[in-house]
Amino acid sequence: MNRKQDQLTTVQAAAFIINYMLGAGILTLPRTTVTAAGTPDVWISILLSGLLVMLMGIILVTLCRRFPGKTVFQFTEEITGKWIAYVLGVIIIAYFLTISAFEIRVMADVTGLYLLEGTPVWAIVMVFMWIGFYLISGGVNSMARLYEIILPITLILFVLAIFLSSDLFEINNLRPVLGEGIMPVIKGLKPTTLAYTGYEIMFIVMAFMRNPEKGKKAMVWGILIPMGIYFITLVMVIGSLSIEGMKTRTWPTLDLMRSFEIEGLVFERFESLLLVIWIMQIFSTFTITHYAASLGCSQLFKKKMLPFMIILLPIIYIIAMIPENANDTFKLGDAVGYVSIYLFGIGPLLLLLLSMIRKKGGKYN
Amino acid sequence: MSRFRRQFTILFTLLLLVFTSGCWSSKEIEDLSVYVGLGLDVAEESKFEKSINAQGGHYPKNNNFTTTVQIVPRIAPKQETQKSTGASEGQAFLNERLTGDSLFQVFRQFALRRDRPLIGHHLKVIVVSHELTKKYSLEQLLDFILRDNDIRPSSLVLVSHGTAFEALSSLEPGEIPAFYLKGVVANSYRSNKILPPVSLAKLDGKMQSGASFLLQNVITAEGEHKFSGAEIYKGETKKWIGSFNQIELEGLSWITGEAQEGAVKSYAPPNGHTVTYEIKSTKSKITPIIQGDNISFHVKIESEGQLMEDWSAPEIPSTDKYIQELEVKFADTIKEQIHQVMGKMQNTYRVEVAGFGEQLRIKYPKVWKKVKENWDETFSQIPVTYDVKLNIKDSGSSTD
Repeated sequence: MNRKQDQLTTVQAAAFIINYMLGAGILTLPRTTVTAAGTPDVWISILLSGLLVMLMGIILVTLCRRFPGKTVFQFTEEITGKWIAYVLGVIIIAYFLTISAFEIRVMADVTGLYLLEGTPVWAIVMVFMWIGFYLISGGVNSMARLYEIILPITLILFVLAIFLSSDLFEINNLRPVLGEGIMPVIKGLKPTTLAYTGYEIMFIVMAFMRNPEKGKKAMVWGILIPMGIYFITLVMVIGSLSIEGMKTRTWPTLDLMRSFEIEGLVFERFESLLLVIWIMQIFSTFTITHYAASLGCSQLFKKKMLPFMIILLPIIYIIAMIPENANDTFKLGDAVGYVSIYLFGIGPLLLLLLSMIRKKGGKYN
Repeated sequence: MSRFRRQFTILFTLLLLVFTSGCWSSKEIEDLSVYVGLGLDVAEESKFEKSINAQGGHYPKNNNFTTTVQIVPRIAPKQETQKSTGASEGQAFLNERLTGDSLFQVFRQFALRRDRPLIGHHLKVIVVSHELTKKYSLEQLLDFILRDNDIRPSSLVLVSHGTAFEALSSLEPGEIPAFYLKGVVANSYRSNKILPPVSLAKLDGKMQSGASFLLQNVITAEGEHKFSGAEIYKGETKKWIGSFNQIELEGLSWITGEAQEGAVKSYAPPNGHTVTYEIKSTKSKITPIIQGDNISFHVKIESEGQLMEDWSAPEIPSTDKYIQELEVKFADTIKEQIHQVMGKMQNTYRVEVAGFGEQLRIKYPKVWKKVKENWDETFSQIPVTYDVKLNIKDSGSSTD
C-alpha cells in the first residue's frame, strides 16, 4: 500500500522516535521522579529504565519484522483474529489521541503561564493544531523531513541552555549516591519508564522504512539520545535546585532556566528560548500522535485518511480541555503512561509469542 | 483560472501578514510600572493611607506588613502621594508603600492608585526586615513571590537590619538601590565577609530541606548601605533567631571553604604591628567521625595566599623564620574567628548553619536519618576539632 515516496531512511525513523519521546514530559520529569524516589539517585533510574525500554523496543521491532510493510493496525488481525484486533486497534488509537491531547494541553498551560499570558487558550491551540494538520496531510515523508530539521536545533539549544545554569550547580545536591540503598532507584524506575513512552511509534514507522532490517538500530539510537537528554536534565536540575527545592516547583526544568540571569551575553534570560524550542518538540509529538491515530482509523475502517485527520482535530481539542486543573492534567499524563507500559511493554511480547505459536508472519534472519 | 488562483493566493498571504503578525496581549513597556526591588516591613501605615482610610477608602484587612516596591524609571508622583524620606531631587527610582495582609491583594491595590500596573518580570532584589521575620516565617512571607509566574526565582533575597524601606532608599542621585544591592552581593568574590548570593530558587531549597540557614544582612545608616554579617533562620520555624557579625561570618567562611578571597589581619611581635594576609585559595574538609553512638567532627583547613601588608618599623626582612611565625599568627587569628562562630552556633543560638549536617548526610546517610529531626539541638553537644594550616606563598611585589 505504501507509495514509493513514502519511505523513510534509518535516520528519519530514529528522528521519529526521538521527536515523539521528547515532549512535554521533560518539563516535569525531575519533579515526578524525585517525588517517587525521594533521593537524588534518580539519574541512575533513568539510565536503568532506558535499558529496560530498549529491551521492550527490540521485542517490538522483532514483532514488526515478521510483517514487513504492515503497521500494527494491519498485522494484529493476522495474529489474533478480527475482533481482538479491532478492540486492540481502537485502544491504540485512543491512546495516541490522548497523548496528542495531553501535549496540546501542557503546551497551552505552559505558554499561558510563562510566554503568552493573556492570550486565550483556544487561540494558541488552534494555530498549533491547524499547522499540525497541514503537516501531517503531507504524509510521513514531509513529517520526517521536518523532524530532521527540528531535532538538531532543539537538542543543541536545549543542552546549551541547560548548561548555562552551571553556575548554580552544586555537586553536594546529588550526593550521597545510593545513600538509602537501591530501593529509591527501583521506586524511581516507574516514573522514569513513563518518560520513554514513544518508542511504540515503531509499530507504524517500521512499515515505512526503506531498510526495515535496520529497525533495531533506529530503535536503539532513538532511545539512547533521549536517555542522554533526560540524564543531563535530571543531573542539572537536581544539582542546581536540590531535591527539596524542586519538589514544590510545578515546572522544575523551566524554573531552572528562570533561576539565573547571564549579564553581558546578548540574552540575559533563557526560559523563553527554551520554551520556544521546546514547543517544537511538543509540536512534533503532537503531530506524530495525530498522524498515528488518523492512520490507525483509516487502516482499521479501511477508508481514506484525510477525513479522519479532520474529524480527529476537534476530538483531540475536547480531550485536551477535559482536565479541570493542572493536577488533573498531570494525572492524565500518568494514566496514559501506565496504559502504555501494558500496551507496548507487555503487548508486543504477547503478540510475538502468539505469532510464533500460531506460525503467523514471515521469518527473517 | 490558475492565474486568478495565484493572484488570490498572493493577496491572501499578504492579508495574513497584516492580520496575524503582532502580539495578542502585548502591553507597551511605557505603560507599565516595572519594579526592581521589593521590601517587606513591619506594618506601618503611611500618612497617605491613613488619610485615605479617614475618608472611607479602606477595605477589610489586617495590617500585618508594609510592602515597598521600587519602581524604575521614576514616574513623577501624583500630588497626594507622600513625600517619602530621602525623596531628593534627581532620584531615579520611586518607592511606593502599601500596607495589608495579603501580598497579592496589596499588589493589586496598586491598580487603584497608579495608572501603570505593576509587573514583576524584572524584580532583582527582595529585602525583608528582620523585625518582620521574628513574627512571620519566611515561608509565609515569600509564598506569593515563589508562586507568582512573573517573578523569577533568580531574584536575590536579603535581610535588612533596619527597615527594608531604608535599605531600598538612597540619597545618591541617579542610584537605584535595588541594582546597588545586587552589585554588592556580586562582590562576594572579593571578600569572605559576604555570603554567596542566595536567590529565591536556592532559598526555596533551603527552606524545604528543614535545615537552618543564613541570609545576607544589610545595614543602612545615613542613606548608605553596608553588608555586615548574616541573619540566622531556624529550620523548623523559618523565623529569625539571631545574627552573625562580620567576624563570625568570616569564621564561618573558613569552615565552609568559601573563604576564597579576602583578608586576614593580625598583629605580629615584637611591637604588635599590623600584618595582613591575602587569601588566594582555601580548601576545607569537614570529616564526620562516628564512634558507636557518638558523632564528632574534624575540620581541616588549608589556605594559600600572600603577605600583602606589613607595618613593621623598622622593616623586618621576610626570612623563612619570620614568614613561618606569621603563618602561625594568621592561623591563630583564623582559629579565633572559628572559635567565636562555633560558640555562637553551639551555645548562643543552638543552630547549625556551617554544613556539618550536610557532610554527615553525605558520608553517613543512616546516622543522619536518626539525628536529622533534632539536628540543631544535637549539634550543640557535638565536639568539633579543627586544624588550620596556612601557607604564605610570596609577599607580593615587594620582597622585604
